[in-house]
Amino acid sequence: MTNGEFFIDYSRCIGCEACVQACGECDTHRGVSMIHLETIERRDSVQTAPQICMHCEDPICAQVCPADAIKKTPDGVVQSSLKPRCIGCSNCVMSCPFGVPKYQIDIDQMMKCDMCYDRTSVGKKPMCATVCPSGALTFTTMQDIQRTRQGVPVNEWRFGVEIVRTKVYVMVPKEVTRVDVDLVQIATTAAALPPDPYDVALMLES
Amino acid sequence: MAKLSADIPKLVEHFGPSLSRIPAGGWADTREDDKLVKTHCCFCGQQCGIQLRVRENKIIGFEPWEDFPFNRGKLCPKGVKRYMQDEHPDRLKSPLQRVQDKGFVPVGWDAALDRVVSEIRRIQETYGKDSFAILTGASLTNEKAYLMGKFARVALQTANIDYNGRLCMVSAGTASKKVFGIDRSGNPWSDIVAADVILVAGANIAECAPITTDYIWRARDRGAKLIVIDPRMTPIARNADLYIPVRPGGDIGVFNGMLHVMIKRGWIDQDYISKHTIGFEEVARTVEKYTPEYAARIAGVPASMIVRAAELFGPAKTSFVMHARGIEHHSKGVENCIAMMSLALATGRLGREGCGYAMITGQGNGQGGREQGQKCDQLPGNRKIDDPEARRYIAGVWDVPESSIPGKGLSAVPLMEAIHSGKIKGLISICFNPVVSLPDANFTREALGKLEFYTAIDFFLSETAQHADIVLAGSLMEEDEGTTTNVEGRVIRHRKVVSPPEGAWEDWKILLELARRLGKGNKFDYAGPREIFDELRVASKGSVSDYYGMTWDRIDENNGLFWPCPSLDHPGTPRLYEDGKFGHPDGKAHFIPVEWRPSVEMPDEEYPIILTTGRVVSHFLSGTQTRRIGALVDQTSEPFCEMHPQLATKLGIADCDFVKVESRRGHVVVHAKVVKTIRPDTVFVPYHWPHDRSANNMTIRALDPQSEIPEFKICAVRVMKAERPIDPIAKLEVQAGGIR
Amino acid sequence: MNADVSQFAKAKGSDTVRATTWGLLATAALIGGIFIGSRGMRDFDPALVSYAGATLFAAFGLGYRFSMWLRRPPTRLYWYRGWQLFLTPGSFWKNLGHLFEIFLSNFVLQRFIERRSHMRWTAHWFLAWGCLMAGAITFPLSFGWIHFETGRSSQDIYRAFLFGIPVGQFPVHSVIAELAFNALDIAAVMVLIGVFSALWRRGRDHGAMAVQQFANDLMPLILLFAICVTGLFLTASTHLMNGLHYTFLSQLHAITVIITLVYLPFGKFFHVFQRPAQLGVDFYKRAGREGEQAVCIRCELPYGSRMQMDDLKRVQEALHIHYQLLDGTHYQDVCPKCRRRNLALMQDNMWKSTRIESERS
Ligand code: HEM
Ligand code: SF4
Ligand code: SF4
Ligand code: SF4
Repeated sequence: MTNGEFFIDYSRCIGCEACVQACGECDTHRGVSMIHLETIERRDSVQTAPQICMHCEDPICAQVCPADAIKKTPDGVVQSSLKPRCIGCSNCVMSCPFGVPKYQIDIDQMMKCDMCYDRTSVGKKPMCATVCPSGALTFTTMQDIQRTRQGVPVNEWRFGVEIVRTKVYVMVPKEVTRVDVDLVQIATTAAALPPDPYDVALMLES
Repeated sequence: MAKLSADIPKLVEHFGPSLSRIPAGGWADTREDDKLVKTHCCFCGQQCGIQLRVRENKIIGFEPWEDFPFNRGKLCPKGVKRYMQDEHPDRLKSPLQRVQDKGFVPVGWDAALDRVVSEIRRIQETYGKDSFAILTGASLTNEKAYLMGKFARVALQTANIDYNGRLCMVSAGTASKKVFGIDRSGNPWSDIVAADVILVAGANIAECAPITTDYIWRARDRGAKLIVIDPRMTPIARNADLYIPVRPGGDIGVFNGMLHVMIKRGWIDQDYISKHTIGFEEVARTVEKYTPEYAARIAGVPASMIVRAAELFGPAKTSFVMHARGIEHHSKGVENCIAMMSLALATGRLGREGCGYAMITGQGNGQGGREQGQKCDQLPGNRKIDDPEARRYIAGVWDVPESSIPGKGLSAVPLMEAIHSGKIKGLISICFNPVVSLPDANFTREALGKLEFYTAIDFFLSETAQHADIVLAGSLMEEDEGTTTNVEGRVIRHRKVVSPPEGAWEDWKILLELARRLGKGNKFDYAGPREIFDELRVASKGSVSDYYGMTWDRIDENNGLFWPCPSLDHPGTPRLYEDGKFGHPDGKAHFIPVEWRPSVEMPDEEYPIILTTGRVVSHFLSGTQTRRIGALVDQTSEPFCEMHPQLATKLGIADCDFVKVESRRGHVVVHAKVVKTIRPDTVFVPYHWPHDRSANNMTIRALDPQSEIPEFKICAVRVMKAERPIDPIAKLEVQAGGIR
Repeated sequence: MNADVSQFAKAKGSDTVRATTWGLLATAALIGGIFIGSRGMRDFDPALVSYAGATLFAAFGLGYRFSMWLRRPPTRLYWYRGWQLFLTPGSFWKNLGHLFEIFLSNFVLQRFIERRSHMRWTAHWFLAWGCLMAGAITFPLSFGWIHFETGRSSQDIYRAFLFGIPVGQFPVHSVIAELAFNALDIAAVMVLIGVFSALWRRGRDHGAMAVQQFANDLMPLILLFAICVTGLFLTASTHLMNGLHYTFLSQLHAITVIITLVYLPFGKFFHVFQRPAQLGVDFYKRAGREGEQAVCIRCELPYGSRMQMDDLKRVQEALHIHYQLLDGTHYQDVCPKCRRRNLALMQDNMWKSTRIESERS
């Protein structure tokens, strides 16, 4: 494993889906793409965002798995379900705070991002982070990210009262030390002040 | 003769587009690769480095090439899945001959070439040399582009050769030549990162030049400000510090208005202007009346935006100015570019680190393709065909009498009009799918029907090749070798990754064989592309785009070389205009005043809405290649009509409804996409699809008088709710022009 | 009923004590079974005592591990729900029919593996059925539950006894006899086919190679290979080499089997016991599909079964996962898609607010 770390910066994403296409080229699940790419609310905005597995320190997906089918490697990568064990119950799909695992109906099993274990375990970068043209997904050293980016990498999250620590970092403005997750809608984000900056018609009126 | 030989569904059944979804050998085949070949993506002017995986002469996958400096392993979805165009079931594997009502039947190479040659002879003898035309493309390698130009002038001796770069880079090129004296982006992309403010106009960078996003975001991490001018809020505009939703065709309002404010507030570099430029006074006089309020009326945006743009751009220490088709595809495309260039020039922010100007090329070899002499008015080395000295020099290189080189021919659209009016009777095309890509597609279809003989060189049966009498099975980019020149002016090498399938030939071989049969074999005596390149080097020697000092080996060693590179020990020229030296004979840049004028077809009562066209990230140009790759078709499978909710409400249209978009020339039926990210007076339809889904059914055959680029970005349409179409074309697969 | 379920998600008492108890119970039950089944050890073959001993150990291990596993809140809940749904009054017969279906397709034919790849299916079907066949013969033999005697009247007749009761007889030189005595060899060959197919796949598939671990993925295949090869050598020694090295070979074979039995409860083989115990998930999923759907509180679209979301809340509580949001809603009621969108919006919003602020100042 290289000393690289994975950094996500949702806000940079341009929705090109290179990550989605490249994910399906990774040998551990070639032909099936594991990454999620969300269009947030196309009517209102062109915002899109990727979601890979965050590789939690104490993965909730694994805790709620009745078959004990989700394991972490010594280097902290949470693997796809163990095939002889997974019974396709979707507990993990429904419990992961980041909405990561995918239930594959054709094989009745869960599959998820394993950070391109075939690549990262031999010192290569994961597929998505190699191709991503916007740097929304980046795999590099901590020094490099601190040198080149505004903001700071953070890997602590709060969902309700649940604190989750992840191997993957998210880029946030300097003063932030933890991402406290509350429910937001696009219309209620600060980005929508002054009212709805994404509405071209309103921009023209001002 | 070139009417369709069978109805479209029947042709589609045999020749596709069908979708390739699984790599050769299948997903699960995990045998070791035979080799990994470093080459470049063929799907846009950025020409990203990529490695292709090969087993048993088949391309089976890709691997990022992180050491290539331009893209450092980054790719867009087209690059990732480009390998799926190989081993494609639609691949043409022998020449084809049309049989009326049956479609096409395979024929041998000898028979096919003989037929082509005898038709060329017959038509040229009957109607004159210029009655046989050639249409080529800007996705050809430099070597092939050079060969096509020479083939036209030496083997066919026709004046009428033009290329699809006419639909792409000519406005930018013309403007750049006029203002700076050189037709090339001024800076390597690394300069973008060092800029304090970046001004982007008419460029959907996220979708059409995705890798450039990385450079812009890196600049923003340094604190750079981003200004985006576009009628649609594109993905990069979402994060811009200032987004100006300009009215299509109103760009000059923004540029002249900004310059007006900058002059008023003293944000121009008088010293630079007087030392390195001429003509500023006249420009200053012209923009005098472009007060923010006046400019805002032209641009169709609040005046405050124009002031804000000037405030961000004017006082910056370093800046980078970029544009693309959005301001170029206009009947005033050249003027739009000139107005934007004035902003860079007036601040003196050119030719330094972090200070520059760039036009974003669209096609694979958008830059190189326009330098090697396949334009109707050009000889190799960006030389003018009516310049006596240039003619003498090239005649010497080609070893032909100067007088035998024809003069200026017709550019793409007039050429198609000449076919329509019967002046041109025969056509060879390569790397061009005008039925989908030229404006006013119904006119193009009609024109093709009037040809006496048409032969297309292609690897898939494109919608235009469907009209051919003879189709010659050519080669894909990765089946041949050569060089291209990327968006930065960096000449790079495409390696031969696999050989063409049995029965298909490398394009250059086809041309050599045609030349031989036309009795000009001695002028086309090359063992391969490397020898063509060596002749190209000589032909470009001493010109603006001087390749003389480049060899394939040097290009390999340096990960590409930037032109001009006049001698073998020259390092190449990544950055132009250093120390204020420009390409004009006087060494100065030339300010040119431009006034806004209306577009050719403005909206009116009958057709009240502006249509603008463009691309999506998962497709390339006319889609001949990308509409055959399953993963890319899944990503965007059909065209759509983007419209603002205000407009949709007025028209009684809901998201996903079928809508008919109609101009005076034609229409499409597509799904509505109701989004707040577009101006309420404008709708957008992407153009990669054929037949009843072709945005160019509506666009207008109006040209910029200087560059002769068509006005793709603005025409008048009306939009109405429609029923689900149920005709045979609508029932085709989506990639073939159907609709779901 | 739901109160019951909450109870079930949380197991009481010390895990190890309980698990040890279950392990011991399993061992005791097996000892009892052996004693009774071999008619007070009369039919017990002392030569096979080491096999029986290792099996007792395995029984302890399996009992222990099974109990430990069932004490995990999610497993426990599923186990309980599985039985609850299966035994629902009124649909018992329907359920039994469904169980038979699942048994046939998942266990006998193993269709679900075939959908992954044919190679995997081939490997697994031969592995599984080879092992099951071998087990069906060897365990009862080593427990003294079945034994053979030559006929009293004729040396050419074999008589088979199950729990001391004669169940049949057949001539020594008959097809049945050949099959009976070579059944283990046939099983061994089946297992070997499976082992080689599995190894072939694991040696070529770059993806599998990247994630496989020696102890978890290769060890089981090596063990099975060792058992089969030493077993086949035994046959070869008897029939082809006049008993050459027979004693040594039989000791070697015993060692391989004993190691495997000891490994049984811990490694990959545990799934042989785990999977059948989880057939209940099928009933759970079906009940989920047919029952009330959970509706996402953010996008207001259905995204899964209400029962599963409620059960997950219980499991999470038992696991000390606290998804209650500050505004009183529960994160479990947000669909996975909205979770992803919400995160991106949150983060983008942070940047936007910072930029707006820095612009103001
Ligand atoms: C109830 C019956 C069984 C079920 C449902 C089951 C299920 C599975 C599954 C799902 C896998 C993963 C297959 C894959 O890699 O795609 C697997 C692997 C395996 N199973 Fe089973 N199994 C069963 C019985 C057995 C039996 C009786 C054995 C023999 C001891 C066995 C031995 C193995 C082995 C060795 C592997 C690993 C194969 C490899 O390396 O790829 N299984 N089993
Ligand atoms: S992000 Fe989700 S899937 Fe990944 S380790 Fe954490 S809980 Fe598991
Ligand atoms: S789907 Fe598989 S991995 Fe996920 S919780 Fe259920 S058994 Fe575990
Ligand atoms: S590759 Fe990067 S920019 Fe493109 S969709 Fe994925 S995350 Fe977004």
